Amino acid sequence: MASVYIPVQNSEEEVRVVLDQLPRDASDILDILKAEQAPLDLWLIIAREYFKQGKIEQFRQILEEGSSPEIDEYYADVRYERIAILNALGAYYSYLGKIETKHREKEEHFIMATQYYNKASRIDMHEPSTWVGKGQLLLAKGDLEQAFAAFKIVLDGDRDNIPALLGQACVQFSRARYSDSLELYKRALQVYPQCPGAVRLGIGLCRYKLGQYDKAKQAFQRVLQLDPENVEALVALGILDLHTNEAAGIRGGMEKMQRAFEIYPYCAMALNYLANHFFFTGQHFLVEQLTETALAVSNHGPTKAHSYYNLARSYQSKGDYEKAGLYYMASVKESNKPQEFVLPYYGLGQVQLKLGDFKSSLSNFEKVLEVYPENCETMKAIGYIYVQLGQTEKAQEFLKKATKIDPRDAQAFLDLGELLISTDSGAALEAFKTARGLLEKGREEVPTELLNNIGVLHFERGEFELAERTFVEALGDGIWHTLIDGKAQPYPIDASASIHQYKDMQLFHRLEEEGFAVEVPWNKISILFNLARLFEQSHNIETASILYRLILFKYPDYIDAYLRLAAIAKDRNNIQISIELIADALKVDDKCPNALLMLGDLELKNDDWVKAKDTFKAAKDSSDRKDSYATLCLGNWNYFAAVRSEKRAPKLEATHLEKAKELYTKVLFDHNANLYAANGAGVVLAEKGHFDVSKDLFTQVQEAASGSVFVQMPDVWINLAHVYFAQGNFPLAVKMYQNCLRKFYYSTDSQVLLYLARTHYEAEQWQDCKKTLLRAIHLAPSNYTLKFDAGVAMQKFSASTLQKQKRTVDEVRSTVAELKNAVRVFSQLSAASNLQFHGFDEKKIDTHVNYCKHLLEAAKVHCEAAEREEQQNKQRLELARQVTLAEEARRKAEEQRKFQMERRKQEDELKQVRQQEEHLERIKEQWKSSTPASKRKDRSQYEDEEGGHSEKRRKKGGKRRKRDKGSKSRYETDEAEADIVDDQEEMEDEDANINYREPSNQMNNQEDEGEENAQDLLAAAGLEDSDAEDDMATPSNPIRRRGAWSESDDDEPQQRQPQLSPNGDNSTEMQVSDGEVGGDDDKLNGDAAAADEDDD
Amino acid sequence: MKLAGLKSVDNAHDDSVWTATWVPATDERPALLLTGSLDETVRVWSPDELTNVATNTGHCLGVVSVAAHPSGVIAASASLDSFVRVFDVDHNNTIATLEAPPSEVWHMQFDPKGTTLAVAGGGSASVKLWDTAEWKLIASLSIPRPEGSKSSDKSGNKKFVLSVAWSPDGKRLACGSMDGTISVFDVSRAKFLHHLEGHFMPVRSLVYSPVDPKILFSASDDAHVHVYDAEGKSLINALSGHSSWVLSVDASPDGAAIATGSSDKSVKLWDLKMRTAVQTLSSHTDQVWAVAFRPPGGTGVRAGRLASVSDDKSISLYDYS
Repeated sequence: MASVYIPVQNSEEEVRVVLDQLPRDASDILDILKAEQAPLDLWLIIAREYFKQGKIEQFRQILEEGSSPEIDEYYADVRYERIAILNALGAYYSYLGKIETKHREKEEHFIMATQYYNKASRIDMHEPSTWVGKGQLLLAKGDLEQAFAAFKIVLDGDRDNIPALLGQACVQFSRARYSDSLELYKRALQVYPQCPGAVRLGIGLCRYKLGQYDKAKQAFQRVLQLDPENVEALVALGILDLHTNEAAGIRGGMEKMQRAFEIYPYCAMALNYLANHFFFTGQHFLVEQLTETALAVSNHGPTKAHSYYNLARSYQSKGDYEKAGLYYMASVKESNKPQEFVLPYYGLGQVQLKLGDFKSSLSNFEKVLEVYPENCETMKAIGYIYVQLGQTEKAQEFLKKATKIDPRDAQAFLDLGELLISTDSGAALEAFKTARGLLEKGREEVPTELLNNIGVLHFERGEFELAERTFVEALGDGIWHTLIDGKAQPYPIDASASIHQYKDMQLFHRLEEEGFAVEVPWNKISILFNLARLFEQSHNIETASILYRLILFKYPDYIDAYLRLAAIAKDRNNIQISIELIADALKVDDKCPNALLMLGDLELKNDDWVKAKDTFKAAKDSSDRKDSYATLCLGNWNYFAAVRSEKRAPKLEATHLEKAKELYTKVLFDHNANLYAANGAGVVLAEKGHFDVSKDLFTQVQEAASGSVFVQMPDVWINLAHVYFAQGNFPLAVKMYQNCLRKFYYSTDSQVLLYLARTHYEAEQWQDCKKTLLRAIHLAPSNYTLKFDAGVAMQKFSASTLQKQKRTVDEVRSTVAELKNAVRVFSQLSAASNLQFHGFDEKKIDTHVNYCKHLLEAAKVHCEAAEREEQQNKQRLELARQVTLAEEARRKAEEQRKFQMERRKQEDELKQVRQQEEHLERIKEQWKSSTPASKRKDRSQYEDEEGGHSEKRRKKGGKRRKRDKGSKSRYETDEAEADIVDDQEEMEDEDANINYREPSNQMNNQEDEGEENAQDLLAAAGLEDSDAEDDMATPSNPIRRRGAWSESDDDEPQQRQPQLSPNGDNSTEMQVSDGEVGGDDDKLNGDAAAADEDDD
Repeated sequence: MKLAGLKSVDNAHDDSVWTATWVPATDERPALLLTGSLDETVRVWSPDELTNVATNTGHCLGVVSVAAHPSGVIAASASLDSFVRVFDVDHNNTIATLEAPPSEVWHMQFDPKGTTLAVAGGGSASVKLWDTAEWKLIASLSIPRPEGSKSSDKSGNKKFVLSVAWSPDGKRLACGSMDGTISVFDVSRAKFLHHLEGHFMPVRSLVYSPVDPKILFSASDDAHVHVYDAEGKSLINALSGHSSWVLSVDASPDGAAIATGSSDKSVKLWDLKMRTAVQTLSSHTDQVWAVAFRPPGGTGVRAGRLASVSDDKSISLYDYS
């Protein structure tokens, strides 16, 4: 048993003090020490003993007593012991200050410590232990430079001073000079190999910091061998284990942490790691407790940052974003530099995003990106924020980067696709497809929203089959399969009930009765709707209507389905049911602008002007006056009202036009790219006669419209054609009308045909005009106006032909035929008017009939004359023919003769040749017999012979050819024609002189008379040409003024005057806008889903 | 069930071809194709080469309808001037010229026995029946005015009759009008039976199923073909698929299919069992005004034929099998 002996003053005796039996009250010991004037080192030993036993109070009491001024006086010469006591006190207060968390007390402790050290220094300036103590104090205060200086003073004196070495190592470590620090620790270990584990701990930490994990681990393990309860070493080893990122390592690490916690429950590091662990196991209560303790015990910035981070994370996962945000903020404040600890910035970004503070969130994420410039998640988050801030381009940039860095991130592609939808559907489709491919590769379920979006994009690009396949896949199994494939047996519905076929739900009741489950999950509605739109677009109307009805059967509030059904009914001209369906839609939402607009359109179609205007106004109001379509409709309404045929009031017309213009301009002001508004403005301008301006407008609109596949604007083509027409450029107008007809109407629009006919009429192309009108009649048989027009065209044609100075017989004859037709057409109309088929004035038709009949009579004379002439012509021709025949016969005889002569000649020639040959043979014979021929000669002779023959043959051929040519060309063509022409000329001259002149004069007279009569008749009916022209000059409509549609123009101005049709076919327009509505809807759905996913 | 293109004749007429029908085979010759056009001629074509056998003139304004007598000997053609010309197919002798003013003439059809010619009377809101022995007007089947409508308004316009069809047993006559309603008549009693509703746009073509005298097919400008039970007064099915007006419909002789011609320039073949278009032919470059299946009969001719004519002046012939 250790004990100290206090020598009793002035005796040899000693008082034995057993160290582990020190009295509780230090005063007892103090009394002895004072009384016996015990050496100061004993004081220190006893104080240290108290300290070891944890009796801090006694320890302090003894040391304070031991450093009191009396002691100083008494033991004035005992310097070292006094210094030791002061240093012990200084170290004690340094320690107190170090562990104290409260700022003021901390300061006080440090001041105390400083005082003691200063006192010690005053005793001996050069005592190293004092300097070591001072260094420790400065280190504790964080004053690294001064601490470094203090330790240096010691080491300069004694370079192996271990405490100074350790202190210096600590300083270097804190300065992040890990290799220097490591050197110092090593020296300390060399100097004093038995030093406590703490030195090895330092080595381990240095090595850890230097990245020498294995060596660090060895060092920590050595520490633990020396001191199994060394918490720091345990924690350090635990961290190393955790960083191995292997299951076993992590488990071992956590075990070490736990042991450290059991040994010393206030190690912040261990607490943080434990909290981290429990966060992942989801024990949030433990996380909070541990981190709160850690926060309480630690002062170290990064550690606290970590603790706050853990806490914040825990709150975030519990959904308490406010608190999470606060703690993240605290964490960020503690670490201050994103480079050191970036996670809380990310967390803060997420929380702020959730709370809607996009700007702050963005800045935090950007900080994360500074540290990790390739972090996909962060980029996606930033992309998302830019989307929310409406900066789509930047958003795209970030998402594109993210997808480039990680081309296997389906979510990133999905987000990118969402972004691109509005700007670049092709790229969006690509992104979606990639996402889909990735998901499928990863065996993940492809979300229906994604398939829906892909389908919609295919749809928009006109790839209907792909779209259908995608939609069907997205829908999966369900009742719709039966409906789409038409497997469900149709059942007859009463024909009179069939008007209501688009409201019929019987089908589904029947299916239910048959045991089918008629169910539509809510998340399939949009896809079903889109599929129905697709069917509608590919003209599979019936299936589309069944799907719409299926949606309504289950979800009677789905307005869009009502509207689509109404649009289908409207396309089929089933106005009544269309209105009913819209009424249903309005029952769901009586402010739905789309429904109201459609209703207005239908009312307009039903000729319900006042109602339509009110409806349009309601639509405009319900959309906060922001719906430009509503404004456009009102504009159109005003325009239509202005040009309405009946009861023209110039004043009203002007106000309506002005109003229309104002409305169009307003739309254009809001949306300067609105084609329809521009078209409308052009129309108003044209109405006012500003053709050049309106032409420019129309041309631009037309160019813009033909750039897009989705915009169908036949009106602008027609309007442009009207303008060309009004300016007298008939060929261009014709071309324009024809193109429009083919391009937009499948050539079925009789109205456009009428415009076309009118252009032909103005261009005096009567036959084209008539043909065009006949086509129009064929398309619209019940439109009697067309028949009337056809009659007029024929009448005009005839009149103009008869007025011609020169005309052929055929012309006259066709004129007569045409007049007969005209008479027939007019009489038919006249007869029909008795039955009140149409609204023509009978008298006017009669006038036309009379006029035509009159013309016909006149024409008959012409015709007779012409026929007579023709008769004569025929005779003449007959004569000519006979002459020609005679000539022909003569020629033939001649030919025969010539031919004979030729032949004879030929024969003669042949004979001659033969004679020559014979002669030659004879000579040869003579040669042969006279001189024996050598081989060579023989051959040459043969060659000669052959040459001669072939030459002859060629000559013969040439002759024959020549003869052929002669016989054909000379005799048959040239001469014959010439003869005929001659004959004819002769005959004509004769005839003309004798017979022809007189009747022609006569006829002219008659014709004049006829015309006079006709004029009279027309005058009687108030239809005389000149008057009519004057009449037409008065109306304000410039087009009409131009259009002198013969005498009868004001019979039916409505049909005649090509009405400029602003956005005329509202049905298609509506369709387009509906389609957009549908599409938007789906995209919204998709967005919502994406947003959800983002937040997770 | 399919159509295979056999032959196409471009510029078969000088202008739009508006109507076509098959003249049944006689003992001397096979069935012939009869076409009428805006160029005011009626032309006769021999199968399968589609050689122009004859060109009949004499009509003014466009030829809107041709009809052939079941005997194959005579035929009728009608033009926009409301004259019907009855002629001998092989010799082109005019047998009769019919008119019934103020009634116009649109679609025509001989009854299956060949005793009566039915003519759609346009604005007269009636179908005229002509006796084929003496060429006398024997009846005028009028569509009754819908109840409640005043005679003074011009709604007469709306019942403008465009198309006619005889039931295969000759007992019923259906006619289609501009407003989309179809009217069914009992011929023997000359009595109006009922309307078939469902279309709201002009019904330009009607045909009864050759195998089921109840079934009536109607083609309308609303781009749909309706299948009606004309007796039971019910709509059995609505076929959609054309993107514009359906101008013409004809039923195949076997009753399993119908063919349609449309303003969308296509000819479609519909399988009646599947109730879908099984084939879409687009050999024409303009609206297809008429389609016609060749009636069975004639020596050694069993193959099915379909002819289509178009605004593009051409005729197309298909093999139906």
